[in-house]
Amino acid sequence: MDLFNDIPFMVLLLLVPLMGAVFAAFTHRNRNNAKWVAIIFSAVTLALTMVYAYVMATATVPYLDADSWTWIDTDYIVISFSLYVDGMSLLMMALTALLVLVVSIFSSSESNSANTFFALILAMEVGLMGVYMAHDYFLFYIFWEVTLIPMYFLISGWGGPRRHYAAIKFFIYTHVASLVMLIAIFAMATEAAAGGPLNFGFDEVKLALAGMDTFMQAALFGMLFLGFAAKMPLVPFHTWLPDAHVEAPTAGSVLLAGVMLKMGSYGIIRVCLDVFPEGAKAWQSAMIVIALVAIIYGAYACIAQNDLKKMVAFSSISHMGMVLLGIATLSSIGVSFAIFQMFAHGLITAVLFMVCGLVGHNAGTREISLLGGLAGKMPIFAAFMMFGFLASLGLPGLVGFVAEFGIIYSFFEYLQGTEYLWAVMFALASLLLTAGYYLWAMQRSIFGRETDKIDLSHVHDVSKPEGISMGIVCALIALFGLMPGIVMKVIETVQIAGVV
Amino acid sequence: MVFGISFMEYAWLIPLFPVIAFVVVGFFGNKFKEGGGAIAIGSAVIAFALSALVAYEFFTGSGDAFAPEPFKWLAFGKYELNFGIYIDSLTCIMMLFASFISLLIFIYSIGYMHGEGKRKRRYYAEIALFLAGMLGLVLSSNYFEMFIFWEIMGVCSYLLIGFWAFRHPEGDEASVKAASAAKKAFLVTRLGDVCFMAGLFVLLWAFTSLDFTVLFDPANMATVDTGVIMLGALLLFGGVIGKSAQFPLQDWLPDAMAGPTTVSALIHAATMVKAGVYLVARSYPLFIQSAEVMLVVALIGGITAFIAATMALNNMNLKRVLAYSTISQLGYMILALGAGGYIIATEMAHGDVEATVGYTAGVFHMMNHAFFKALLFMCAGSVIHAVGTEDMRRMGGLSKKMRITSLTMLIGCLSIAGFPFLSGFWSKDMILEAVMEPSSLGLEGQIFMLLFVLALITAFMTAFYMFRLWFLTFKGKPRDASIHCHGESPKSMTMPLMILSVFAVGSGFLIFLGLNDIITFSVISGDFVVGGHGHTPGHILDAILTNVWTYVSLAVALIGILLAYLIYARGSLDPSRLTASGKSRLYRFLAARYFFPQLYDQISWKLGYSVAKGVDYVDKNMIDGTVNGLANSVVGSSGSLRKMQTGNVRDYLMYMAVGLISAVIVLYVLVTTGGL
Repeated sequence: MDLFNDIPFMVLLLLVPLMGAVFAAFTHRNRNNAKWVAIIFSAVTLALTMVYAYVMATATVPYLDADSWTWIDTDYIVISFSLYVDGMSLLMMALTALLVLVVSIFSSSESNSANTFFALILAMEVGLMGVYMAHDYFLFYIFWEVTLIPMYFLISGWGGPRRHYAAIKFFIYTHVASLVMLIAIFAMATEAAAGGPLNFGFDEVKLALAGMDTFMQAALFGMLFLGFAAKMPLVPFHTWLPDAHVEAPTAGSVLLAGVMLKMGSYGIIRVCLDVFPEGAKAWQSAMIVIALVAIIYGAYACIAQNDLKKMVAFSSISHMGMVLLGIATLSSIGVSFAIFQMFAHGLITAVLFMVCGLVGHNAGTREISLLGGLAGKMPIFAAFMMFGFLASLGLPGLVGFVAEFGIIYSFFEYLQGTEYLWAVMFALASLLLTAGYYLWAMQRSIFGRETDKIDLSHVHDVSKPEGISMGIVCALIALFGLMPGIVMKVIETVQIAGVV
Repeated sequence: MVFGISFMEYAWLIPLFPVIAFVVVGFFGNKFKEGGGAIAIGSAVIAFALSALVAYEFFTGSGDAFAPEPFKWLAFGKYELNFGIYIDSLTCIMMLFASFISLLIFIYSIGYMHGEGKRKRRYYAEIALFLAGMLGLVLSSNYFEMFIFWEIMGVCSYLLIGFWAFRHPEGDEASVKAASAAKKAFLVTRLGDVCFMAGLFVLLWAFTSLDFTVLFDPANMATVDTGVIMLGALLLFGGVIGKSAQFPLQDWLPDAMAGPTTVSALIHAATMVKAGVYLVARSYPLFIQSAEVMLVVALIGGITAFIAATMALNNMNLKRVLAYSTISQLGYMILALGAGGYIIATEMAHGDVEATVGYTAGVFHMMNHAFFKALLFMCAGSVIHAVGTEDMRRMGGLSKKMRITSLTMLIGCLSIAGFPFLSGFWSKDMILEAVMEPSSLGLEGQIFMLLFVLALITAFMTAFYMFRLWFLTFKGKPRDASIHCHGESPKSMTMPLMILSVFAVGSGFLIFLGLNDIITFSVISGDFVVGGHGHTPGHILDAILTNVWTYVSLAVALIGILLAYLIYARGSLDPSRLTASGKSRLYRFLAARYFFPQLYDQISWKLGYSVAKGVDYVDKNMIDGTVNGLANSVVGSSGSLRKMQTGNVRDYLMYMAVGLISAVIVLYVLVTTGGL
């Protein structure tokens, strides 16, 4: 429809949540107006994203859009406010818009400084949208850091008992990693400038670095990879994640695991792979090893956890390892399904963290050893938990299965040319381990003897806003699991250099 | 064409109706009477009626497999994953008996699950999905689609075995057991499923498609290395071992008895475990590419049949005995398929291979077993419903109070024991014949000879333990005064029993009424043909009745029945003399299921939890320890900076604002003065 063609979607997708954040911040802290501001503005953002997706799908060049304004233009440095959206960006933006709306509904009973709380959530959305649209390294870095600040305050302001430790750890950890990334960005820009003005544009840098020698490529790839790896996070740079999740409020956890972690893998695909195809080849074996370690290590760590939320946090490490495994095959199938897994994990993990938040809030504890037989008291909660866990363990018919099937297959195909075919067993073994920790956790928390270690007399089941928000995500998990073609069509259009 | 409509075109509706029932009952079941049971039954009726129409159309047609252009589900790279239907005579037989028996079980459930209150909604939704999974599986046109339905059935079995995983009517202990059994069933079959998935990878890589029409095309097969097909077939068989509870993954099935008895009937007769046998029969074109694969199949089947039967010998739980007998009978089917396939594999090099007995026997027994096992389980359910216990030591003398149940169960027992002219008799003798067939082939022939002996001993044990069960339950005097029998079960429960007992008697005769031509597998000028080319009824009758082994197996079965009679009905033989009152080593070994449960526990504990604890230790102390140590050393060396960490959000906000502003100023100065 031509009607929509003149709407500057990209700018609006930054402005609407920003306006929402400002409005929410100025509502009265003790009245529950802020939640309506958050719900309305995030719903508008989601609607805009959907219309935008429709416009892009019907465009002459599907799923590609770009716009640029010069920001700083001197003889020495050129920074532009450059935005670019392709299939991968669009999926991540849709996920962001969806999850922000979902957590706004889910957290609507938040009463502790609700104005700041919802303002921070909307501010997060601005940062996330920016990261997924930025097409200038400087801009990219700014948005990258912008996401950090609201998350820090969400954890330290609305978190659990050890929230300050977790928040500081989160901040320092990811900030150190992004500093390494910043150095790499400057190195890239300097190298690309070759004596001329520093230009941070994605395309300019890529063009200028096209003939770069393998050593430099590998070095820069490594530095950027480190920055992104801490965000994903990959073992051994992961220890901030369990702490941050355990302490973060549910809304923070959902956004953190659902879309923030994807910034890391997004960066690897968008920057590392696209700009340094030779560097990627040099790092390929290392990436595969890191991915397999993350998958298995994360899954085993899950088995040992006693806190449900910590278990789910470690499962994210395992599943993000899957994403890296897909990327590391450097094949179009692998990268496509890695993107698919980013999307799938975003949806599934949102349900998982909402379930963990619920049990913590309603039963008063998330310690598995204190729980038991909850299905009798909280049947709807148990149904959601089961759905989320089954989706996460890769049940066919739900979205996680498609992603895992594709990633492990691409890995299998990659191994065909090598003598390491047995390595696929590690990826397959993780499917078994994943099923193991999820089923065991369900057996101990919602099934079996009804616990007498906590007082269950006042425990109530899922409330309406909670049920709606989880129901929406569960419906999408089933929809995209049954019709993965919809998502695949968007991913297909993504062009990444260095991917065969 | 029936009524001018080609029903085969609409065969995809068959699993769709149970899916609709699942959704409707799942969300709105409590708005209907009996938790929406009628809706589930209705969907089964429609599924059965459609199956019958499709089957009728197929059997009156050309006999070629019907595989319309599939729906393209997901495309990536050069690969395409499809959703479609594939109908040949095997599909027809499978969907007919699966939907028919499920229908009877659904009807029976109305009586059996009557007292479950609000939980009935969940029950009827889940069994409808279970049926959908099975029907979808048999109609699948490719392995990927099959795998999806395969897994859906897996999760349904998890949900239904764990139906009483919380608030069990018999108390907390039972809930704990049910939860554990459900988990075990899912995880053990998942191990097989992972193999299945690996098999999909191998086949997809080799054929760039998973469609049966592509994979079973001899021209495509010729382009693929035999070793790769062999690997693919073995991995698929790994899935079968999990799903059909074959050695060494058989141990989940006895535990699965923790669910309602109707669920056991569903799992054992109509769905779930039959899916594995079906997979072997469906994959015959791949499996017969290598005689070694078929030997493995036959060996696993033979071993399973034997060890499961031994475990049933001294068990005192009514349902568990039936569970072991299922494992044992499944082993029979796998053994028959393996033996028949072995013959084809070795003869294929010499050109055409007419239908072997093995394939026919395996599929035939699968069908017969479905009828008599559904009957046996539902009889057991009727007994449990009446007396409230599963322990046979506390039963006895029930035949007077439950005439219909005891008679129908007797028919089931006679059928499974292979009493002449009942359904089990025909298929079991065909299986024995099938195993005997390759025993003349060199060294491997001796293995088949051994398998034949095992199968024969299994036949004896089957007759013995089934009649031990029947005599203990229905004959003698009531052994426990505290058990009160409520008398015969309601009509909705006894009706299905009577219908099924007709089939348990008569379904064997179908082999003389056309079934012999339907369930065959032959290789005709390089093509793999399912259906047609069966032996004539006269030939089959002749082969069975003139074969000396028929009479040996019959004698063996009769001795088994007689022994059970002498021990458990007449009491003229004291079993405790043989077992040293249950203290003999063999007795305890069997009672402990060959220590398989402990083996599973040990493996999962060592490979799972112990490693996990180690990983957790590394994570907490080494990785995180390093991080915290590093942080502490930085903070420690700058004691003055520590004071900044007031833990007050406002202070941090201020620091950050100051930092941000100074950064902007520095940058601005740098840019404007040209310092960069």
